[in-house]
Amino acid sequence: MSDSTRAAMRDATAMDPFVFATAQYESGDWDSAPMLPANVIDSVARYTSLPVRPQGVSVPLSSEAVFAYPLLYLTGHLPVRFTTREANVLRKYLVRGGLLFVDDHNHDVDGAFHKTVREEIRRVAGPLVPLPNTHELYRSFFVFENGPPTTSHEMNGWGDNLVHEQLDAVLRNGRISVLYSSKDYSSEWSFHPDNKRFLSVDNTRFAVNLVVYALTR
Amino acid sequence: MNDTTILSRVAGVRRVLVRVVYTRATLLACGVALSAWLVVDGVRLACGGDSLASERSTGIVLVFALLVFWSLARRQTRDINDVRAALWIEERDTGARPASFALVTLIEALVGLRSLATGVSTVDPSARSTAESPLLQASANAVLVRTDVPRALRRSARNQLLGPALFLAGALTVLVVGALVRSGPGAIAGSVLRAVSGDSALLTPIPPLGSWQVRVDAPAYMRRAPQQFGNVQNASAVRGSMVQLRGPGPIPEQVIERIVGDAADTLAAARRERALLPTTNGDGWQVRTVATDGPVTIQLARGGRARLFVIEGRADSIPAVALLQPTRDSVFRTPEGSLALVASARDDIGLTNARFELIVSSGEGERFTARTVQMGERRFVGDRAGTIRATMDLAALELVAGDIVHVRAIARDAYPASNREYGSSETRSFRIARAAEYDSVAVEPAPPPEVDKSLLSQRMLLMLTEKLEKQRPRLERKTLMSEASKIGRDQARLRRAVGDLVFQRLSGDVSGEHAHTVGDGHDHGVEQQQGKLALSGGNAGGVLEEGDDSPVISINQPLLEAYNAMWDAGRELEQGEPKAAIPHMRLALAAIERARSAERLYLRGKPPTVIIDIAKVRLAGKDTGVTNLRREREGPPSREARRAARLIVAAQLVAGDVLAARDSLAVLRVEALGDSPAFAAAVATVLAVMDRNGDATEAFVGARRVLGGVVRTDAGAWSRGIPR
Repeated sequence: MSDSTRAAMRDATAMDPFVFATAQYESGDWDSAPMLPANVIDSVARYTSLPVRPQGVSVPLSSEAVFAYPLLYLTGHLPVRFTTREANVLRKYLVRGGLLFVDDHNHDVDGAFHKTVREEIRRVAGPLVPLPNTHELYRSFFVFENGPPTTSHEMNGWGDNLVHEQLDAVLRNGRISVLYSSKDYSSEWSFHPDNKRFLSVDNTRFAVNLVVYALTR
Repeated sequence: MNDTTILSRVAGVRRVLVRVVYTRATLLACGVALSAWLVVDGVRLACGGDSLASERSTGIVLVFALLVFWSLARRQTRDINDVRAALWIEERDTGARPASFALVTLIEALVGLRSLATGVSTVDPSARSTAESPLLQASANAVLVRTDVPRALRRSARNQLLGPALFLAGALTVLVVGALVRSGPGAIAGSVLRAVSGDSALLTPIPPLGSWQVRVDAPAYMRRAPQQFGNVQNASAVRGSMVQLRGPGPIPEQVIERIVGDAADTLAAARRERALLPTTNGDGWQVRTVATDGPVTIQLARGGRARLFVIEGRADSIPAVALLQPTRDSVFRTPEGSLALVASARDDIGLTNARFELIVSSGEGERFTARTVQMGERRFVGDRAGTIRATMDLAALELVAGDIVHVRAIARDAYPASNREYGSSETRSFRIARAAEYDSVAVEPAPPPEVDKSLLSQRMLLMLTEKLEKQRPRLERKTLMSEASKIGRDQARLRRAVGDLVFQRLSGDVSGEHAHTVGDGHDHGVEQQQGKLALSGGNAGGVLEEGDDSPVISINQPLLEAYNAMWDAGRELEQGEPKAAIPHMRLALAAIERARSAERLYLRGKPPTVIIDIAKVRLAGKDTGVTNLRREREGPPSREARRAARLIVAAQLVAGDVLAARDSLAVLRVEALGDSPAFAAAVATVLAVMDRNGDATEAFVGARRVLGGVVRTDAGAWSRGIPR
């Protein structure tokens, strides 16, 4: 581990607040949802008393700096092929208790991102299995009786034209290790948080459940 | 027959009867003693002790037998005399019914007269007349004549001795059979003793576990011949291999397979071990198990000895693939031409096929499509390494502008599972440029901004200063001060220009309406201290902020160093000390070079920077308190520390139980094979030394040093050769 990485980890752990981290991988467009981190941070600050850092960070997946962040967000449109270094770091990250949230920005089960990233997840963490809609993730803060909230992008016929009933996950010792979504939360949540005032129901509430689950389970 | 003859015959019968009693007592004493010996011996064997074969045990049994003999013989021979013998004869007289008791009366009178003769007692006056009575003597003679005394004695002896003799014979039989069983083959011994005892759990005196033979049958897909090993303690096997242990003698009483290493930590205790069922094989035994991809130990126990066999299971690795050509990503102006693809693949067992996989993704924004193309497939027949080549024709792929081709090589081995992973190389991406993107890359169609040509570069200022320093001996002080001040003023102008650049980068626009300068009261990440610039306290991190492309550290740091060095150089020049200014000027020049090399171009564009005002979102003016602080999670105990502790325990075991120490070290070694091969090799050295019965102290010390973290205490006052 380089000195800079060690220093970054020390800085990150020294700061008590939760830091939203976006995984930066070599292939594909990892930064396709630039507004999502701010929106999630806004929701965490708005609904919970968790100490939260006002800005997110982008962390190279090939860097062991990811170990400092309990939740890692990964998205994109293009094929995902982890480098050997990225796969090794991600494997260690998951073993150490990290939670990787992967969202298909294509919302297309026939898309390149969906096919390739699921393959990479299988190689790194094991096969994804459907997560029951009664899972405690859907009650960790807000209660979602019907499982993951449907996104407007599912409803308007884009992508695969499907409304996905549930999310997929890789469980490790009963805890979600990798959460995979085909619902395109990356599009749903990627807007300026000031515009939440125009929504009758905040559609980013599920992100709060995700953060609370990652920090408390 | 006169009186003396009658008395002697009766006395003879008495002696015979006494002998019978003694014989019976002897038989019973021996039988009881042997029975007691067998019972105690059986109980001790059942409890796991040794058999009663010692001299001490034999002595105790003999004493016990003498006590039994004495108690039986003394009690029963005390009442046998001539009168009782005569009565015994009268009882066997079948001719007189009812009995006349003539013989008893006569013998009683004769015994009285004999006692008188020896002076033992006084005689009854009627006894003599009775003894001399002719009728009585005739009757007594008749009794003796009618009675078949020898036959009666034989019958009596048979009746008296048959039971005790059978009792003793039974005990002897058990003793002899037990001795034969113990000295015979173990399997027979076990079964017979179990049959005799009726208790299958009874510990059988079977021979201790001895040597074995090991056979490893690799999975069929590997097409490898079985491997045979001798009496080894460990063997390496690929996952799925059948590992067979064979040995002579009876079946081991206990065969337990245990998973060790990291895999055991993730399993419940009940799943870490299982009992294996050994089977008979000819005149020996065998036990089989299937190797997994981790270390496994098999503990076998028989006859009070346990041995450990270690299986170094390893997984069949997926092929390792490297994409040799092309070596980097690229962007093509047009989808024309071809690319040579070269990849190498290797596998620990054998390859079956390899090929290139191309994913062509098209689209932009929210709409993307992808298709997969395969090319350059090559089949292998068990080769461990190979190279594949292909030519990627861009035109044949029918690419359009904006398409991205992701190329990688994949290879498979012969592992038969349907969900078997394949090896893949890293991915190279090739993009066909869009026509419009050249415009976005181009600078604005305007002439480059006017450069302030009045500024002298730092390199030029340095050269002028060095020249002035050379001329210094020939110049007057006044002239030197004038020339140095002139260079110093140019140095100050350049320093201010660098300062403007620093603040321009922080604010985005130095000439705008809200330009930032030194001392404007805003927090720029830098602040002025006695003429120099320094980083302000809150901006010393290193992590790239979300959407922040003006990192103070990576770019502005060298410029700040240049600024401060220029300040020092200018001060020296103002004082007429060009020699003292030169080092600062060189520092400034080097810092400018570093800043130049640290420049970055961000073609992707700048995402909006959104910083959430937490207090505003929470409708609180300010943070009101400290919430629960997160603490760094305590990691598990260091693996090296645990291994060090186990190594020390094994070293301490060497003095007391070498075999146990060997087993511990073997397990320790196999667990360390995966993640700490150096330590595993050091432990192997320890085992090798122990095999040679050598002093393993140095090897243990070496293994401990390999683990690292050895804490050395400071030399004390009494340390030899180390001064305080």
